[in-house]
Formats: sequence, C-alpha cells, structure tokens
Amino acid sequence: MSRIPSPMSWRKGDDIASRPWRGRIRDYDLFKELTIGVVVVGLLVLGLSAIFSSPDDPGVTLKSWAAAAPSDFVATATAELGGTSGTAGYGPPYNSTPDASQHLGFFNPQELSGVRLPVDTANDFVINPLKTLPTPPAALATWSAATADQQTKWTADYTTALSAAPNGDPARVANGNYGPVPALTSALLGMAASGNLDGVLQNSGQPYNLDYTPTILFLGDGNYFPDLATTAHLTGDQWGVMNETGNTPGQSWLWLFSLLYQIEAYKSSPNADILVVATMLVLSLLLTLLPFIPGLRSIPRKIPVHRLIWKDYYGKR
Amino acid sequence: MLELMSQAPSPITPGTYFGWGDVMIQSGNLVVIIAMLVLFVLALVLPFPGGRSRK
Repeated sequence: MSRIPSPMSWRKGDDIASRPWRGRIRDYDLFKELTIGVVVVGLLVLGLSAIFSSPDDPGVTLKSWAAAAPSDFVATATAELGGTSGTAGYGPPYNSTPDASQHLGFFNPQELSGVRLPVDTANDFVINPLKTLPTPPAALATWSAATADQQTKWTADYTTALSAAPNGDPARVANGNYGPVPALTSALLGMAASGNLDGVLQNSGQPYNLDYTPTILFLGDGNYFPDLATTAHLTGDQWGVMNETGNTPGQSWLWLFSLLYQIEAYKSSPNADILVVATMLVLSLLLTLLPFIPGLRSIPRKIPVHRLIWKDYYGKR
Repeated sequence: MLELMSQAPSPITPGTYFGWGDVMIQSGNLVVIIAMLVLFVLALVLPFPGGRSRK
C-alpha cells in the first residue's frame, strides 16, 4: 500500500525533490572558500580586536588603595570598625539594619531575600584579618575587652579627629583618647599596603577564589574608589550617557536605566533602584506586547520612516 | 611615609573627552553615534541592494 501525500505536503503531486536540477550550475571550490574565509576572517578579527579591544585597566585592589590614598583607607577602616560605613548600614543581604531596604509599597524584595551574605564590618574587615598576622597587634585585646559603647565612642572620636586633621592625615591627628583604634587601623593599613589584606579578605577556603564581595564592599565604602569612577567619567550622571574607561564606547544598552536616575521622583527617592527597575520592567513589557497595543502599534503608519528606507518596494505598490 | 605613598598615579585612564558647554562626550561614544547617523542617512539615500532589478 503506497503512502498518499497529505494535501498540505510540499511533495503534493509533482514530486519536486526527485526532479533533476535544470537551472544554472557554477563551479564551487570548498578549499578556496575555506582558505579565504579563515584568512580574511582571521585578519579581520585580529585587526578589529587590535583597534576595538575591551579596556584592560589594572584592577583596583586594597593594596593599590593603601598606596594611593592611605588617609582615606584609614578613615574607611575606622568607619568599618565603628559600624558606620555604607556596608554596615546597607541592610539585606549583608545585615539587618532597620529601614535600610528599598521597597515598592508593601513589596520589599530586599527584605524577602533576608541576610544571605552576613557581613560584620568590624570583625570581617578589620579584627579577623589582623588576627591572621604572624604577630597580631596588642591593641586587638584592648578592643575585644571594651564594651560596645566604649568601642563606638573611640571610633566616633577618631573619625571626628581624622576629618579635622590636615588632609585627613592620621599622623597629624590631634591628641585624644581614641583607645586602640589608631593602632588597629594603622596595622590594617600596613597589612593592606603589603598586599596581605587582599589575600585574607578573598580567602574563601577554596583553591580558587572567585568571590570578591568583601574587597569590593570595603573599597566602595571609601572615597578613593568612587573618586576614580568620577575621574574616569563612569558615574553615569550624564543623562543616560554611559562611558567606559579609556576611549572604548560605553554600554549603550544601559542608557535608559542611567537616564531615569537623573529625573526627579527617581533622583531624590530613597527607593530609586527598585523604582527604576520596576519602570524598566513596565517599558520592557510594553515593547514585548507592542503588536497588541492599539495606538502604539500604529506609530509606523503615522511616522513612516521605513517607507523612506524601503522606498523602492513601497514605490511600486 | 603616608605622604610619599599618596603620590601614586591613578590606575584608570579616563580617555579623550570633547566638550561644548554643558555637553561632554567621550571619543568612542562620539564615533559610534556618528557611525549610526551616517548609516541611517545612507539607508535613506542609497537604493536597497538588488532592489531595482527585483520585480
């Protein structure tokens, strides 16, 4: 019993697949094409990557920070000790600082995530790294023996004294009772300058560490790292213009995110991040559902730019 | 020692920027924008490849 082709089949009736080709035939040299393809594409890849390769600036580390801006490092280490840094008051996922999370009405995804990456800035960034030194500073014992109130007073007083010192230089701080704080922050500065602190903060216990969270949080709490971003025009404060380091073109796909941060309501809102993300979700939904939205889907009919580009086609209709 | 160390140069290269009043643009972004505008104008002006012979 022979199979009958479906009425919808392309094989219906004329059996087109088994008919001999009667059109024009050309020579085809696979090796020639392969050679040209590999050589031409290879040269293009090498040439274009030489011209347009991604930027390769050296990474900013705690070591480079300690070398370039030691005063800022000491001020930040003091803030980490006193629990007054940006990270210490960030809220989830690092800690449970009250009222720190961003929310959209009752929807609070930051609280929902919970404290998944607990960070105690005093212990994780200062005290525990100092304990790993071959000869830990004696000031550690004084700090540990003090009450929380006393620790807060020491760090607050030292922060005030650092801001009052010329250029924030720890060596020119006015005399006062700062307890073990100057010794601890100075020891941490020495540890960072030697490169040890990077290694200790990134020691995840695994052979290869890919988690730079503690280092980046510590860097972000200071002024040196944000100032570098400002110098390189990377802060995204130019109405949606996104820049890259050097002369590499910026991330144009992020322009709308960046633009929204410059507009009031978003700009001054303590919930700016979640508001911007929610707005982008709504705009993305509008774009996805564009063919179903009356009015919006008719824009090409009212502003027929495509008719200018495909004028040959539309001219003959 | 602290003062000596603070002389270290910035590790990030800012690139070349052009400014006209309040407008400031990085050279890479400027090249991309000009290339996009040129391509758009060419798309408007030039005939579509093979478009004239197509029936």
